[in-house]
Amino acid sequence: MKQTNNVLIEDLLDRTRLLLNEISTFQDLSDGQLNWKSNPDSWSILECLEHLNRYGDFYLPRFEKSIQQAALVSPNTDFKSGWLGNYFAQLMVPENGAIKKMNTLKDMNPTGSQLTRDVMNRFEEQQKIVLDLLGKARKVNLSKSKTDTMLSKFIVLRLGDVFRFVIYHNQRHVSQAGNVLKAMQKSEHNLQHQAS
Amino acid sequence: MNPVEELKALLEAHPTEVWDKQMVLNRNEYLKVKGSIDLQLYYIESGSVRVFMDDGHEEHTIRFGYVNSFIAALDCFLTEQPSEYYIQAIKKTQVKVIRKATWMEFIGHSGRHGELWQKILELVVIQQLEREKDLLTQSPAERYKRVLQRSPELFQEIPMKYIASYLRMTPETLSRIRKS
Repeated sequence: MKQTNNVLIEDLLDRTRLLLNEISTFQDLSDGQLNWKSNPDSWSILECLEHLNRYGDFYLPRFEKSIQQAALVSPNTDFKSGWLGNYFAQLMVPENGAIKKMNTLKDMNPTGSQLTRDVMNRFEEQQKIVLDLLGKARKVNLSKSKTDTMLSKFIVLRLGDVFRFVIYHNQRHVSQAGNVLKAMQKSEHNLQHQAS
Repeated sequence: MNPVEELKALLEAHPTEVWDKQMVLNRNEYLKVKGSIDLQLYYIESGSVRVFMDDGHEEHTIRFGYVNSFIAALDCFLTEQPSEYYIQAIKKTQVKVIRKATWMEFIGHSGRHGELWQKILELVVIQQLEREKDLLTQSPAERYKRVLQRSPELFQEIPMKYIASYLRMTPETLSRIRKS
């Protein structure tokens, strides 16, 4: 994938805008609804967001550091994906609307933790930090600057690709949370139906 | 007809389609976020929006967009540079979107279009000068009075917490002033 910094950053900002819009509907839900899950092995809305918060805790400070150390360039400079970075980013994109199941690193799995609404506010705060970081990233070399990853100590990827990976990953699990909401509304509807 | 109404009528009557799309936003959804280059102008068909900045500690509401008016992140609409502003729906809001390139073409299409756009920009300048006086006014009660006189509709359309932010005071102070 090759495009200018400006084009890449506008795309990532807009994806983050849509994420903020999608989670704004969760604010009206009760604590019970936020913790609801369709079966014991799947995640609740808060668990989806907590999973993302843990990724954010790892990656956001690393973005900050990479940006500080990166060379400044014009926003019209081309960003070119690396093959591995592009592979990981693309892995997060749903195919034909379906989210492929994947294994979660143990530390990143929120199942079983006590979660409150604060998870939602933390996610929103993290997205505002992402907007700030993207704003700064517009003017740095996103191809030459490298960022650590959670995958392995030995895998460092291009800053632009790691931004793509993290934001696509956010979209993946926010859309999962949206599906939890839909399943919950359906089951609430069925319960009402049975009761009447 | 005021210049906004006249220009809207001319946009609707234009021989070629000028609107890029329509959008419906629920309460608290964003039209624009910090850092983006937004080269679009929005016409508000229903609902209302606010333009604000976030300095990392606090949100500062700087402008409202009402039904039947245009709103944009005017700094980047004019300069095409990234803008810090957020634009957020205050309630369910429907907007029509026009791109800057289409807009500039439309404005150049006839002398009258250009005149109306200039009138609208003049009004914006006057409003910004009034706003600057607001910000320089020390007394919160005085700031409240100035805005109430200038835009009484504000108090019908916009929740108090955003008006308080616009007036640079806490919601408690605003409520105290309104009672006295």
